[in-house]
Amino acid sequence: MNAFFVSVEVRENPELVGLPVVVGGSGPRGVIAAASYEARVFGVRSAMPSSTARRLCPNLLFVDGHYSLYQQVSNRIMSIFMSFTPMVEPLSLDEAFLDVSSAARIHGEPEEIAHKIRSTIYKTESLLSTVGVASSKSVAKLASEAAKPRIVAGQITSGTGIKVVRKPDEQAFLNALPVRALWGVGPKTNTKLERLGLKTVGDIAKLPVEVLCGALGEANGHHLHRLAHGNDDRHVEPERSAKSISHEETFETDVTDPAVLHAEIVRMSDAVASRLRSAKLRARTINVKARYGSFETLIRSKTISAPTSNGVQIAEVAAELFDQVDVASGIRLVGVGVKGLSDQSFDQLSLLDGEDGEVQHNRDDVDEVIDEVRRRFGGTAIGPAAAIKESRTASGFTNRRPVIPE
Amino acid sequence: MKFRCERDVLVETLGTAGRAVSTRSGLPGLSGVQVELVGDQFTVTGSDLDLTITTTIEVSGESDGKAVIPARLAADIVKALSPGAVELSTEDDTLRISAGRSDFSIRLITSDEFPKITDIDAKPVELDAEQLAHALKQVVLAASSDDSRPILTGVLLAAEGDSLRLVATDSYRLAMKDIDGIELLSEGEQVLVPSRALGELHRILANGKSITLRLGEKEASFTVEGVTLTTRLIEGDFPNYRGLVPDHHPNTLTVNRTALLDALRRVKLMAPQEGTPVRIEMNEHGMELVAVTADVGTAREVVESSYVGEDLVVAFNPRFLLEGLEVAPGDDVTLLTTDELKPALIKSVGFDNYLYLLMPVRVS
Repeated sequence: MNAFFVSVEVRENPELVGLPVVVGGSGPRGVIAAASYEARVFGVRSAMPSSTARRLCPNLLFVDGHYSLYQQVSNRIMSIFMSFTPMVEPLSLDEAFLDVSSAARIHGEPEEIAHKIRSTIYKTESLLSTVGVASSKSVAKLASEAAKPRIVAGQITSGTGIKVVRKPDEQAFLNALPVRALWGVGPKTNTKLERLGLKTVGDIAKLPVEVLCGALGEANGHHLHRLAHGNDDRHVEPERSAKSISHEETFETDVTDPAVLHAEIVRMSDAVASRLRSAKLRARTINVKARYGSFETLIRSKTISAPTSNGVQIAEVAAELFDQVDVASGIRLVGVGVKGLSDQSFDQLSLLDGEDGEVQHNRDDVDEVIDEVRRRFGGTAIGPAAAIKESRTASGFTNRRPVIPE
Repeated sequence: MKFRCERDVLVETLGTAGRAVSTRSGLPGLSGVQVELVGDQFTVTGSDLDLTITTTIEVSGESDGKAVIPARLAADIVKALSPGAVELSTEDDTLRISAGRSDFSIRLITSDEFPKITDIDAKPVELDAEQLAHALKQVVLAASSDDSRPILTGVLLAAEGDSLRLVATDSYRLAMKDIDGIELLSEGEQVLVPSRALGELHRILANGKSITLRLGEKEASFTVEGVTLTTRLIEGDFPNYRGLVPDHHPNTLTVNRTALLDALRRVKLMAPQEGTPVRIEMNEHGMELVAVTADVGTAREVVESSYVGEDLVVAFNPRFLLEGLEVAPGDDVTLLTTDELKPALIKSVGFDNYLYLLMPVRVS
């Protein structure tokens, strides 16, 4: 999808059409989640600190993200993909690989399918998308990049929307791309390659693999060598079930107050538990993540004896783990996550039911009520008291009153 | 302190005592082991306050002394030396380790930070090491590893007639073993020993034939061939395990233990996710094991067996079932059940001194 979050926002608010718009936090620690092409003209990019973005484009319009809306739109787009082939591997909310090799008989050649998908998305969602067609995942991704709108000499140039790279044309297509276009070439590798005088993928392709390995190490060298020749034998893997669930929060300024951190841990534990329950799962391993102002990151985890989807229980373990973290030097980010997920329809019974069985039943009952209240009055209608902050608008709960139905 | 010793002997001694050393303790003294030489007797002690392991070996001593040395570092150095004799000596605040052309000097840890280890004042009781090792293997696995339920991390030692009874439960299963002919405690007396200590004890039991046990008020110690393991006892009341074991059970399945284990290991392949149960379907024809994982597949296997009782389907965590069957004695076992929600009892045919109680998984 092209500038997905922003495109959805613009669709919902037509007055934003043609303006430099970003989705992201406008506070001192805010980060740009997505930027419209009009904003990109000024050099604004996603993942850029908002302060930098505002310097580049003083008239930049900040829009709050509506992630549940993006999720809904994403779900509908993914089901459009699924109507063409079950072989869909989502990469993110707005990106997926499709293996259409066996869909030809029903839907036509890959190029035809690309057109159909693109026009279906436009018809149903009024959103623009880009499709890359090739024989492997990495080339298909590069092809879709090549078909996207881009900024050339300060002007938005609309892309072709679809780019087909056939096997015989593959090497020529790759050769012309800059090295950083390849998967796995980040800023560090890019610098190393530049030092070797390698600017294009073609430069890499011409190089003996030994030289590449010498510069980048065995694994990375071979990997880039293969990609530069369009050799990528990774299959499209349809979505597997989630292996972990986590929430994290970056603070506007580093936090040293244990009470604030505790409130955040409780709030996130509750959110994680809620997601577990809606996926009908339970988890046995709970972990907390803490990132200091220096970006040093700690992860502590604990496996409990019986799987849970209860926010209070997850918060208890998370708080216990977090007690081991020294917060004096200031915490930039905290996170709570769970793994070791199991199906909640299986309930390992306890021999000592009288003692912890009752507690468990009570917790289940409370969770059921919480879920029901949230279903009827919204996600912020009920929550743990410990997670309420003095300023309720800062994050977490809003000061919106629940709407009582007649 | 100064002495010479074979490298391999020293490696083992430092390693054994080092197993009690806490890796996460905040106390610097506890990251070390205490070493002491008296004549030709060299003693190493490691402790995390809950568990203490002391091991003594014969060396060729030159001068007596006592110090606390960094446990991991010293063990790693000795392990890496070339085979043969190693010389250890201390001078002021330094430990010197030399062998062949290698020469290491490492700083000692202040010895006043090391906990004082006192002997237990109790009558020693001799036990057969092999018998105890076997019993530990059968029982310790059922203890909980969840520190938030300290009582369940212990193994109960209790007098039962003229036997010593061992019981452990993590609340999902319970293992119980009676070792006949041991009068360790008086009737009605019981102690709760941390399962971690018993796990360590199991490792060192292989070294000897006989073990000396001392039970104190708050501690217990076990001595095998120059190694003494001392553990704090857990305070609190162990669940009333007698009330948990059902005294009657309408359904009885009898099956060859190895055949059931083999089938279970195969069928379990279709329940790879922790928490996915394996079902045992029982009727007049015997039993069938079934495992189903949605979107993955199904496994079924009929296991030759005889069944007396109502038609019944019970689901279990396959790991719990496997662990119990693996340590049960004998060729044939019985699975005694009441219904699909009540505890099931595994007993070995011809052995009355071991039982494994297991709660089913409720499938909704």
